[in-house]
Amino acid sequence: MQRSHAGFVALVCLTAAVVSYLFYFAFLKAPPAQLAAGGIAQKIFYFHVPSAYAMYLSGAVCFVASAAYLVGATDGRDAWARAGAECAVVFGLIVLTTGPLWAKKAWGVYWTWDPRLTTSLLSVLVYVAIVVLRAFSGSGDAERRFAAALGVLGTVNLPIIHYSVRKWGGLHPTVITKGGGGLQHPDMKHALTVGFIALTLLAIVLLVLRARAALLSSKLARLEEEAIFSGLDEVA
Amino acid sequence: MSAQPAEQPKTAATADPGDRSEQFVAVQGGGETTSAEALLVSAYIVIWLLLLGFVWLTWKRQRGIEARLGDLEKALQKSARE
Repeated sequence: MQRSHAGFVALVCLTAAVVSYLFYFAFLKAPPAQLAAGGIAQKIFYFHVPSAYAMYLSGAVCFVASAAYLVGATDGRDAWARAGAECAVVFGLIVLTTGPLWAKKAWGVYWTWDPRLTTSLLSVLVYVAIVVLRAFSGSGDAERRFAAALGVLGTVNLPIIHYSVRKWGGLHPTVITKGGGGLQHPDMKHALTVGFIALTLLAIVLLVLRARAALLSSKLARLEEEAIFSGLDEVA
Repeated sequence: MSAQPAEQPKTAATADPGDRSEQFVAVQGGGETTSAEALLVSAYIVIWLLLLGFVWLTWKRQRGIEARLGDLEKALQKSARE
């Protein structure tokens, strides 16, 4: 237990260091892109794309844990599914707010019903639905199963987001789908790589924190129920 | 050909009330006034607000769990004394 706690603290410190380095490098070292790509506003890209990736990662955690919960219900699986949905909402909101700010400069509009933007919005709304459902409908087995089913169905949309640009076109850039070949400066590639590492670490930290909190909350709720059944009225 | 004197731009003091715009016409490629720097800074502020807000909510949730755990502990101790 002590060792895992120390490991987690080390992970948090590493994440803080890498995120700080990302801010430094993206702001001060990475060169601005051409005006058609938004000029200096293109630097949003180094957080926007890794945040989308972190949303996929969180969604994948939600999917695996939800599917596992539907096969065999445990508090741990439910906690990871819930944590995955919560983190997917946070990273999804980052994507959906930073993207339009960049788009305002690059495209001249904050929002357009481009296939990738629309599917991303849909995906975030599914995760928001899971979070709201779990927050306001209690923690009964039926609610957990319904949320798990939504977690499985919601994640089906993630590959659609990824391939929507190739299949349906639209305004959204495709620099990553060319294997990074769209980034024409080594510092741009470096900033994006650091962005991926930083946001992956951040996603892991937040997922672990939320899953621990959800698991503790479930265990505590069971203990409270047992205590009430044993006649400990003070707990109620 | 004689050179025409350049027309002086009208100021608030010299403008005729009849010059006021009475309609707005949409134009293609109108002047883009949004600053890229402002958009970049706004994006980073949004990122920090969302992340710190999420961490704050997590901390609040942990505090709630600790409080409930404390109540349960007290109830158990009281029950054991009785």
